[in-house]
Amino acid sequence: MVLVELAKALHVPVWALRGFLAPLVYPGLVALLGTVLFLIWAERKMAARVQQRVGPYYVSPKLHGALQLIADGARFALQEVIVHVETDRLMFVLGPILTFTFLSLPFTVLPGGPGIYGFRSDFSMVIVYALLTLSPITVILMGWASSNKFAMIGGGREALLTVSGEITLALAILSVAAMYGTLDFVTAVEKQVHTGIIGLVSNPIAALLFFLAMLLLTDRVPFDIVLGEQEIVQGPYTEYSGVLYALTMAIDYAKLYALSIAFTLLFLGGWAPFTTPLLGAISVYIKSLIVLLFSVFLRSVYGRMRLDHAMNFFWARLFPLGFIALALGVFVHVIYA
Amino acid sequence: MIGRELGQREGYRVVELYIGPQHPASGHMRLVVYLDGDIIVRVDPDIGYVHRTMEKLSEIREYVRVISLIERMTIIDSCNITLPFVEAVEKLLGVEAPPRAKYLRTILCEINRISSHLYGLGIGGIFLNHSTMFMWGFGDREVFVHLASLLTGARLTHTYNIFGGVRRDLPQGFRDEFLKAKRYILRKLKDYDKVFFNNPVIRGRLENVGVLPRDKAIAYGVTGPNLRASGVRYDARLLGYAAYSELDFEPVVGKYGDGLERVWVRLREIEMSLDLIEQALKQLPDGPIFHERYAKMVPPAMRKWFEKGRVKLPGGYVRLRPRKGEVFSRGEMGHGEVTYYLVSDGGMMPYRLRIVTPSARNAIMFSILPPGHTLMDLPSIYGSMDYFPPEADR
Amino acid sequence: MSQGSNSDKQDDHRPRINPVLAHLEAIATGIKWLTRKPMTLMYPDMEEKKPEYFRGFIIFNYDKCIGCSLCAQVCPPRAIHMYRVPGDKRIRPGYDAGRCIHCGLCTDICPTDALDVSPVHDEVFEQIESMDFDPVEWHIISKKLVEEHAKRKRKLVITRVDEEVGLRYEPVE
Repeated sequence: MVLVELAKALHVPVWALRGFLAPLVYPGLVALLGTVLFLIWAERKMAARVQQRVGPYYVSPKLHGALQLIADGARFALQEVIVHVETDRLMFVLGPILTFTFLSLPFTVLPGGPGIYGFRSDFSMVIVYALLTLSPITVILMGWASSNKFAMIGGGREALLTVSGEITLALAILSVAAMYGTLDFVTAVEKQVHTGIIGLVSNPIAALLFFLAMLLLTDRVPFDIVLGEQEIVQGPYTEYSGVLYALTMAIDYAKLYALSIAFTLLFLGGWAPFTTPLLGAISVYIKSLIVLLFSVFLRSVYGRMRLDHAMNFFWARLFPLGFIALALGVFVHVIYA
Repeated sequence: MIGRELGQREGYRVVELYIGPQHPASGHMRLVVYLDGDIIVRVDPDIGYVHRTMEKLSEIREYVRVISLIERMTIIDSCNITLPFVEAVEKLLGVEAPPRAKYLRTILCEINRISSHLYGLGIGGIFLNHSTMFMWGFGDREVFVHLASLLTGARLTHTYNIFGGVRRDLPQGFRDEFLKAKRYILRKLKDYDKVFFNNPVIRGRLENVGVLPRDKAIAYGVTGPNLRASGVRYDARLLGYAAYSELDFEPVVGKYGDGLERVWVRLREIEMSLDLIEQALKQLPDGPIFHERYAKMVPPAMRKWFEKGRVKLPGGYVRLRPRKGEVFSRGEMGHGEVTYYLVSDGGMMPYRLRIVTPSARNAIMFSILPPGHTLMDLPSIYGSMDYFPPEADR
Repeated sequence: MSQGSNSDKQDDHRPRINPVLAHLEAIATGIKWLTRKPMTLMYPDMEEKKPEYFRGFIIFNYDKCIGCSLCAQVCPPRAIHMYRVPGDKRIRPGYDAGRCIHCGLCTDICPTDALDVSPVHDEVFEQIESMDFDPVEWHIISKKLVEEHAKRKRKLVITRVDEEVGLRYEPVE
């Protein structure tokens, strides 16, 4: 193993190196940053193509505008961060930072390939789920601290949607856990690799539920109700500017990235068909990139769903479907037993 | 902490929400929305942010200079909005445009109507955050703006109708370009149906939202596609101005009067306008495009331009003096019916020009439609109305 | 009027939709257009050849002018004013390009073709004062702009309506 040799050379224990590399490099922050930069560019380019436009171009004509995001980032970094008088200053400034911190924690347990993880736990699915559900709380607080009516309404919408989305996500994860007979990502992937049947085939309903809940929790179109530009400007993030605004934008993308890696591990066979660390990591990354690209592509097909329709869709349609997925998972368990 | 406080209005504990004028979805106006929870209790449209005193300005301009002034009320629909004024002045002057000019006016009016509807549909799309509808509406509008620029030499503010005719003849190759555009847009409308009109998400946003019943629509004086969507067969084109009396058409009339119906009426009117242009191009008579009375006054050296399909104006055209009188004229724009009331005292400038634009009449819908709906329905009602603030404010 | 009462009497023009099929159709249409070419004119890199009599910057020929002042009278935004030029008995038109709305009425009413429309529509002036021309300056800048416009090195394209993607741009020569 490369990691073991590297640890020997550096005279540190292997677990410490793991705990450092996984959350910070891959699948953690560095990979996240690169993915987000590519993803936003790809999102804009794909939407532009569907809409018969060119998209970002003149920032770097030879790369078809790929450096546009760097230019945008530089602009955000140099912009003044306005904290207006009526805000709850501490919460206003800490909000995006705390949220982003919560969202970078799941990468300690999310495996990015065979043997590439911060630490291995028998309950890694539960840990990822629990850490992801922390972020809406700070988003709601941000909406309150902004002292803006639009932000307040946005915070309320976040609370409402999080409840319905996370139940669906929990049911999807539960049915997969019942199917594989484990709450550990690594074991789940190993079972898929072993039997050669990926989760998408054995339990498509759970995959659909997971995907839709992912779109809802990360404010992707058609469920971008929290941001709701046409009604409430930018939802809980209305008052933010500069670096903090860039962070609020990164919140949703970080969540989306973490959830799509989880989707890859649970339903797309993780690092299958490879078992070596390097090829396995590439396999996981490419699969989750495809999931990411598809979820941002939906922007060019849909509008925003109405709040009550989205709630109705999740509670009246997907919630019962979740129990069917759970039952299916219990039955399909035979394959992986 | 002031922003978080609740207000009190008519006994309700409500949140006052000021949407606009600096809001992504307000336009040049402000909507004061009172919310009880998520339900809209009352909406006060606060219009007038782009008021430019069009009526007063037109009183200090010679008649020919008024044309290019008033088309700035709705630059996306400039032929439709100037035509009733031009016809009103023509009535006082006692001239009538030659048949060919009338047909050309009709053609440009319908091109303008299509681009106005596409603009409205695009704006309606982005109000629902449907960016593809937005871009498709604006992109396909570009096709018709291009056709208009072939015909008139300008993309938006054509100043095409003048007293006694039109300024340019039909250019060569226009028919072919139009037929290609027609085939393209008819094919594209099927994709509009798939991506927008029949999209379940959009259906959920528009169906049964902002229902305007027939009796209310008549009582409040709503006009245009919004009126027809409520099931009223009223279209100012049925009066037969320009060449409409010689063309065969039946206005698109809806049934239910909700947001989806208003979108549907616009989509079908695009098809109807394409059909009208094709008819007009087929029946287009030969002959002059400018009234003989003025054509005769043009210096002989300049007559050569008439053969090249471009009108030259005589020197006396600036000092036109319509006879004393009052004229009321109306025409159908993309947004609805525009009416002019022109009073002339026999001088070189209008004594009074009263303009009632369709958006000004439709602004009432902001007050009567949203109450009872949720905040999320407000943009969808706004988008389905095709409201154009600069036109309403004049 | 009551909400939801319409849903049971849908007629042909608003067909009931199958939720699953309609979603799939919408996504399929999106993917179909993903493969089409854009209709954007890459403007600063290429330039559209304007249609005949396109109404851009008004150009003025001093030698043809007879000083009748009709252009100043007809100009809707009063962008044309009459000036006295030293050494000239007649008054001549001057031009404020910042006020001009490019309606082209002055070129239509000019009895001697001293004024004409040109396809120059994107000339940049650095200061607002430099957009106001007296008759002699107007004559000079008109000549200069037309000559420069003919010599532009951008790729010249002509716009055509296309049945597939709406508009396409064919290179000229």
